[in-house]
Amino acid sequence: MEHGTRGRAVVKFLFWTAVAASLVFTMARAHVSGRLAAWYYHTAAIEGYAVNADTFLDATAAAPATLAVGNFERIEGRQAVPVKQGDRLPANANGIIGKDILDKGVRATLAGDTIVVKVPWKISESKGFKFKDTFKHKGIKTYPWGAAWNVAMTLGIGLALGFMAEGFTDLLGIKLEKIRHFEGH
Amino acid sequence: MFDFVVAGVVAPIFLLVFVGFTVGTVGGFIGVGGGYMVTPALIVFGFPGYMASGIDMTHIAGKGLVSTIRHRQLGNIDWTMALSMVAGTMLGVELGVRLLVYFKKLGISGVVLLLTSVVVMFSLFLYTQIETRRAHRKAEQMTRDGQKIMREIQTSNLPSYFQRIPFFPIVRCRTARVVVSMWVIVGVGVITGFLAGFLGVGGGFIRVPALVYLVGASTHIAVGTDLVEIVFSGGYGALRHSMEGHVDMMAVLFMILGAMFGAQFGSIATSYVRGPAIRYILSYSLILATCGAVLRLAYVLTGQSVEILSLLAVMLTLGEMIFLCLFIISLVLFAIRHRKGKTVPPWVPSLVV
Repeated sequence: MEHGTRGRAVVKFLFWTAVAASLVFTMARAHVSGRLAAWYYHTAAIEGYAVNADTFLDATAAAPATLAVGNFERIEGRQAVPVKQGDRLPANANGIIGKDILDKGVRATLAGDTIVVKVPWKISESKGFKFKDTFKHKGIKTYPWGAAWNVAMTLGIGLALGFMAEGFTDLLGIKLEKIRHFEGH
Repeated sequence: MFDFVVAGVVAPIFLLVFVGFTVGTVGGFIGVGGGYMVTPALIVFGFPGYMASGIDMTHIAGKGLVSTIRHRQLGNIDWTMALSMVAGTMLGVELGVRLLVYFKKLGISGVVLLLTSVVVMFSLFLYTQIETRRAHRKAEQMTRDGQKIMREIQTSNLPSYFQRIPFFPIVRCRTARVVVSMWVIVGVGVITGFLAGFLGVGGGFIRVPALVYLVGASTHIAVGTDLVEIVFSGGYGALRHSMEGHVDMMAVLFMILGAMFGAQFGSIATSYVRGPAIRYILSYSLILATCGAVLRLAYVLTGQSVEILSLLAVMLTLGEMIFLCLFIISLVLFAIRHRKGKTVPPWVPSLVV
């Protein structure tokens, strides 16, 4: 490989590796700091009680889970915070038990300052596949700019990894020529 | 094990990287996003159904970009064709999604969706398989006669019919060496986008045959050009899913990292084969996906009571990814052996370069 070509390949590979690494680092930091989750479980889309649905997955009709209702800033364990449509969700909340569900009283009921959950999940079906459907993600709305950030990061990482791989093969001297589509072999 | 906080799932990272790799390989080779394989795999790993679709669609956009960059280097992209089709594809996807929402309101979306999948995929499999066998026989005959074979061998008469449509403006797609009315390309975009939006997939498995058999592009160029469409439609789908809250970005990240390696291999593998080899793999992927959809349809129609049907559908889908990946790897290995003058099975020489 010529010296200049190799130099360009090194620069290309290092530049795109740095871009890819910084994007991956940014995403990892957003995950660790809880920003991804906070953007995701951002606003209440319905009226009800914000909860952390992971804390009462083991509840059953025979051994229901009891959630303490209060205006907590952060949900710790089995707690629930009343929310109206459009309210910002408290930290660590990941779903809403809707008022309609409490009114029906089949899966969960409101009893004074507590919510009693009897059916924390049910089996649902999507495109012919079954999955465990919990209260998680129910009644929440994500931060709109978070969605744009997701797409920008995905495309950014795809672009950086694509050029990084191209730089890597250039660096190794693997010559990938354009395919001659209209010539006989 | 990694705690995917947003999805609420604890799953091993290597599984997601592995799925990304296998689907990246298949997608880079036949120009599909692989949604019909990834969504069931994610559900098996414990991701909720809505989340599986969102993660799948988002990772497709990133993976499509990785493959597109490599296909651009290999000269497999016709930008005129790709950009002419984008608007039609987006319009089609939006119409498809709206029709799906309508069927959801009627409460019959599951059955209609699976039934449409079966009919569309099986029809495409049948046509692709018949035509590719014909092309393969022709190539074998040419090899026996000692003639030089072009990279592409295609025996369908449909492209010449569509290329004669005289509606203004007529565009010259230089890379694909096709002169055709822009409305044909836009129409292909609308129809394939519509089906993709309705079926909730990227639509590559419909668009690649459409570009080959309707527009007249060579299979390699159809694959590269389709991946450009997948970046656009996948990006749009990712935005919609993200706004609905169906995306765990950490899962997307691990899948893209796996897909980076797979997409490189799949894309570069196209330079070792002729058009019919890609179409063979595409048609096998279609029939396997059809079998999976038939099992899921039977499961839904039997009131979701026969659990073995759902289990078989999942096993078939996961097996399909690995089977196709191994098939592509063996084709490349055979091509390398053939280049070195070593013995290969008799069906190989006419399929590889």
